[in-house]
Amino acid sequence: MLETVVQAVINGLLIGGIYALVSIGVTLIFGVVKIVNFAQGEFVMIGMYISFFLSSYFGIDPLVSLAVSMPALFLVGLCLQHFLIRRVLGLGDMPQIFLTFALSLLLMNLALMAFTANYRTVHTWYSDEAIHLGEIYVPVAKLIAFVLAMALSGTLWVFLQTTDMGKAMRAAAQKPEVAMLMGINPNRVFAVATGVSLALAGAAGSLLMPFYPASPTAGQVFVLMAFVAVVLGTLGNVRGALIASLMMGVAESLGIQFVGADSGLIVVFLMLLLTLAIRPSGLAGGGAR
Amino acid sequence: MKKSQSRKQTKSLRRRDFLIKTAGGVLATAAFGAVPLRGWAAEPVNIGALYPVTGSFAQIGQACVNAAKLAVEMVNDAGGIKSLGGAKLNLILSDVQSDTTVTRTETDRLISGNKLSAIHGCYASALTLIASEVAERAKVAIITGSSSDMLNKGRSYTFTPFARASQFAKAQLQMSKLVSDKPKVAVVFENTAFGTSTSNGLKEQAPGEGVEIVLFEPYSAGFADAGPLLNKVKASGADMLFAVSYLNDLILIVRTVKQIGLKVGINGGSGGFVVPDFYKNVGSLAEGLQGVAHWNHDVDTNAQKVNSEYKKRHGEFLFEYGGGLVAQTFMLADALERAQSTDPQKVRDALAALDVSSGYAAMAPGGKVKFGPDGKNVYGHPVGVQWQTADLASVFPKEDARAPLMKS
Repeated sequence: MLETVVQAVINGLLIGGIYALVSIGVTLIFGVVKIVNFAQGEFVMIGMYISFFLSSYFGIDPLVSLAVSMPALFLVGLCLQHFLIRRVLGLGDMPQIFLTFALSLLLMNLALMAFTANYRTVHTWYSDEAIHLGEIYVPVAKLIAFVLAMALSGTLWVFLQTTDMGKAMRAAAQKPEVAMLMGINPNRVFAVATGVSLALAGAAGSLLMPFYPASPTAGQVFVLMAFVAVVLGTLGNVRGALIASLMMGVAESLGIQFVGADSGLIVVFLMLLLTLAIRPSGLAGGGAR
Repeated sequence: MKKSQSRKQTKSLRRRDFLIKTAGGVLATAAFGAVPLRGWAAEPVNIGALYPVTGSFAQIGQACVNAAKLAVEMVNDAGGIKSLGGAKLNLILSDVQSDTTVTRTETDRLISGNKLSAIHGCYASALTLIASEVAERAKVAIITGSSSDMLNKGRSYTFTPFARASQFAKAQLQMSKLVSDKPKVAVVFENTAFGTSTSNGLKEQAPGEGVEIVLFEPYSAGFADAGPLLNKVKASGADMLFAVSYLNDLILIVRTVKQIGLKVGINGGSGGFVVPDFYKNVGSLAEGLQGVAHWNHDVDTNAQKVNSEYKKRHGEFLFEYGGGLVAQTFMLADALERAQSTDPQKVRDALAALDVSSGYAAMAPGGKVKFGPDGKNVYGHPVGVQWQTADLASVFPKEDARAPLMKS
C-alpha cells in the first residue's frame, strides 16, 4: 500500500515537471505581455517535431536537440510578438483571444497537413529503462526530463531576479506604466518574454520526445493542465505556476490511483475550485512576481 | 549535364509510355462501353468497392483499395468468370470519406449510376452499417469484413464471411488461458462507445470462460502518462492485461509496462493493433504482444501466396482486413461463376448458396465458408495472433495455430 502511494507520488511529480515548463511559459507571457497564449500547446508540438526530425534524419538525441528547439522557438517567439501580438495589444481581450486561438487551430491543422495524423516515436537507449529501488521504479527518460525542467525553471528564476532584462520584465509585469516611465522599452521586454516563453514550450517538446509520441494534437494533452496550473498558481506568477504544476501532477496521479482512471482530472479541478474559493487570487496570492 | 539529360529522357519516355497506355485504356473502355460485343469479348462484371480513402480512416482505406485491386487482378489473370465467357471483373471505386453521411450518398450514387453485380466495403463498421442499409433497399448484395453483429440482424443482402465482434471477446478470454490456468485479467478501456461496448462484452463472457477479472478500469483517452494507470494494474496483481485503447494510449501503455518491468501479458485486441503501423511505432517492444483478427496472412498456403505478392508491391505484410478482402473477391467470383449471370439478384442467390472449402475463396480461419440465413459464415471464427519477429503469427485456436505461443 505504502509503495503504491509512493509510486503514485513519484509518477505525479515526474509528469508535473513537464506541466511546469508549459505553464511557466503561459504565465510568463500573461504576466509580462498580458495576453493569454492559447497556442502554447502547439509550440510544444512543434518542439516535439523538431526533435523527432533531428533524431530520425541525423540521429541526434532529443535531449541534445534542446540546443536547436529552444533557440528556434525563441526566434519564433520574437517574430510572433513583433508581427502579431504587438498589433492587437491595447485592443481589448477579444482580438487577443481570437489571435492566439486562431494561431492554435492554424498550427495544428498545418501540422496535420505537413506531418499527417500518424504518431511518431523516438527510441533512445534510455526510453524504456527505469531505475528500480525495491518495488519502486523511476523511469529514466522522465527523470531526465524532470531534472532538466527544474534546471530550466531555476535558470529562468535567476534570470528574472538578477539580470537587467529580467528585472525589466518583472517591472513590466507589476506596473507597466511605471516601468515605461523608468525608461524600459516595452516592445523589447515583451519580445524577449514571448521568446523565452516559447523556448520553454520547445524545451518541453524535446524533453517529451524520448517517451511520448509526437502527433499534431499532442500539445493539447499538456496545455489544459498548464492552464489550470497557471490559475492555481496565481496568474503571472512563475514560482506559483511551478509549484501548482507539481501539485497537479501528484493530484492527478493519486486521483487515478484511488478514485478512478477516468476521474484523475476531477481531483485536479476539485483542487482548483477549492483553491479559488479559499484564495481567489491563487496559491501564491500576491499577484505577478 | 549528361546525367541530367539522360534522366530527362527516361522521364519523357515514361511519360510517353504512360500516355500510350492511358489512351489505349480509354479507347478500350470506350469501345466496350459503347458496343457490348458478346461472344467476341465478354462484357466486364462491375463490382462496387466502397472504402474511406480520405478522412480519419484514409491510411487503412487506401490499403484496402490496394488489396481490392490485387484481388481483381488475380481473378482476371486466372481467366475471369468462365461461365460468362471469361468476363473480367471491373472494380468501380468510391470514396466514402470516413463519414456516415457521405457513405449513404456515395452508396446510392454508386448503385444508381452503375450496373453493379455486387458491392464490398467499407472497413469501419459504422460506415458498413449505412452502406448495407442502402444496398438492402436497392437489392444488391454487399459482402464485408466488418465485424459488427448488427450487420446480421434482419438483412438478406448482407454477407459476413468472417468472425463477429461478439466472438472476438470470447477468443481474447480463451487466449488468456494460454498464459496461465487461472488467469487474472485486468481490463483497461477508454471510456467512450468503442471502449465501453468492447469491454462490456469481455466482462459478460468472462465468468463463462472461467476467467477472473481483477480490475475493470475505464480511463479518458489521450493521457499524458500511463504510469498512474499501470500502477493500478500492478496493484491488482493481474497476470494478463486487456487494453481496449486507441493507438496513442496503447503505445504509452506498452512502453510503460516495459519500464515498470511488470510481468503481465498484453492483449491489444483487434483493429489498429494488428496492422503493420503498430510495429513501426512500438518496435521490438511489440514482440510477444497478443491480439485477435478475423484473418491472418499465415492461415493457409494461398494466403501466404497473396501475402508475398502484396508485400512485393507495397512493402509491408497483408493486414487482416485486406487479406479478408481478397478472399471476399474470390467468393464473389465463385458466386458469379455459378449464377452464370451478372444480374444482382441472381448473384445474391448464388452467394447465399456459397459453400467453399478450398481455393482463395476459402482462405479464412477454419478454411470453410458457408452462409447461414443471417448472412453469417457458419464456420466463421477469429484467430488469435501474436507479434513475433516484426510479423503477426497465428497462435490460437490450436487448429489455426501456425506458430507456438511465445511466452514472455
